[in-house]
Amino acid sequence: MMEGMSGDLLTELGKNLVSGSLSDRDLMRQTVGPVERILPEANVVKIGGQSLIDRGRAAVFPVLDEIVANLPRHRMILGTGAGTRARHAYSVAIDLGLPTGVMSVLGTFVSMQNARMIHYLLARHGIPFIEPAQFPQLPLFLAERRAAVFFGMPPYTFWQQNPAIGRIPPHRTDTGSYLVSEVFGTRSMIYIKDEDGLYTADPKKDRHAKFIPKITVAELKAKDLGDLVVERAVLDLMERAVHQRSIRVINGLVPGNLTRALNGEDVGTLISAD
Amino acid sequence: MYDETTHPPDARHHLASLLMRESLIDKQVVAATETRTPLLRMLPEAHVVKIGGRSIVDQGATALPALVTVLGEVLKTQKLILSTGGGVRTRHVFSIGIDLGLPTGVLAQLALADALGNAHILGALLSPLGVVAIPPEMFGHLLPLFLHSAPGVIFNGDPPYSLWEHPPEIGRIPPHRTDAGSYLLAECFGCANVILVKDVDGLYDADPKTHADARFIPEIGVAELRAMNLETLPFDEVLLDLLERSRLVRRFQLINGLHPERLARAIAGENVGTIIHAD
Repeated sequence: MMEGMSGDLLTELGKNLVSGSLSDRDLMRQTVGPVERILPEANVVKIGGQSLIDRGRAAVFPVLDEIVANLPRHRMILGTGAGTRARHAYSVAIDLGLPTGVMSVLGTFVSMQNARMIHYLLARHGIPFIEPAQFPQLPLFLAERRAAVFFGMPPYTFWQQNPAIGRIPPHRTDTGSYLVSEVFGTRSMIYIKDEDGLYTADPKKDRHAKFIPKITVAELKAKDLGDLVVERAVLDLMERAVHQRSIRVINGLVPGNLTRALNGEDVGTLISAD
Repeated sequence: MYDETTHPPDARHHLASLLMRESLIDKQVVAATETRTPLLRMLPEAHVVKIGGRSIVDQGATALPALVTVLGEVLKTQKLILSTGGGVRTRHVFSIGIDLGLPTGVLAQLALADALGNAHILGALLSPLGVVAIPPEMFGHLLPLFLHSAPGVIFNGDPPYSLWEHPPEIGRIPPHRTDAGSYLLAECFGCANVILVKDVDGLYDADPKTHADARFIPEIGVAELRAMNLETLPFDEVLLDLLERSRLVRRFQLINGLHPERLARAIAGENVGTIIHAD
């Protein structure tokens, strides 16, 4: 019963949490404080699905070579996007009237296929693929092998929230990868895509699109762009983040970009919450 | 949208589909997915009933057995998806975790265990009826099968966000807790009802324990409730955001489990507490 936990063992915050309401804003303000960085030396690197992996060997092999070349200097948690097969599955699901949570399951399967392929190509370097249940082993793999592969979809499955508009899961592989970097307090979050970074419009569709090398989340939201290079949910999460206050988007089709980004150089687009 | 007459085929290998080559972030593309195809209700006859952790389960013999008796009656004719909150053990582990400097995602991961423990407590009491706590790893995928085979199932109400929990607006407490997880499951499966069983009659415009003149609110919409700017809410605040984006389950009801007979009436569709609905 409740009395059993109200003894001297509890901190003042503990007493307030046990008896108070978690919707009480005053109480929530007491829950701030320093947060440990769990994996401060690791980098989360997300490999795009439609942008990179769907291009096959021509795009994937140079990126993997660059990942391997950076293993001696950098630890990498490698997330994968989903891509065109997810778009196909989403299209079928929309046609059948399936809810967003089921589409989230379908997207997970596709990003898992991509994670498996990336993992097999890196297997000779001892790099494992880990599912969410295996994340407790991640620190060991990073210490021993310097990298691990995971699927970028957050494991929300049937509990994926509806989007404000439409039916496509709003939290996909950009978001799942970002949240890994935030919870572990990693030194960077790098998205490998097939464009130089953020533009004022999709450069694949609008040749007048202008490149944006650096921008804040607030500025970006104010622009209210029709399309973006990362999922919109990432921007909302960045504003509330404790650790991962910036993300970088780079063009993985350009050799050397990943190395520069891992080294902290200014390449691609830097989006920051501050 | 991508126009092949003005753009050459690219080096990406696409599968032909409605969304082929499209940016899923593009506003026009996203809006086009809001089709007239009606959403499927996978479990339209099931009711999701969340049994409060601190409010009911932690009270032990004073609250739970009477509620279990009513649940047994209801389970004779209705399919129930039962969930539980984590209660004071979750509050305790939050306070220790915050003191140790652990992030929100870790707190969310830790909290899963408390609600799962409470799910097993409820499962022990309901085991004569074949209603048991299902491991979270298989629960969602096998839910229709379980519900076809048994009158009800129990899960830990937490959504499986774990390390992937969102940072909250203020402080460190995971925003998607067991009320939210129970609601999200019902929304995905298109269930008949969501009922949150707590130890208050419903929603008041002030805390009735400290304000004798607190006014009871039998039914209210999200916008009106937001405008009232209440100091506290007797459910996960994020439910308001989720209701605003609801497609299938447009309301939930909050009832007092210390009057267990109200549960049967709520499942029958009566308002015996407070109904909160999307606008």
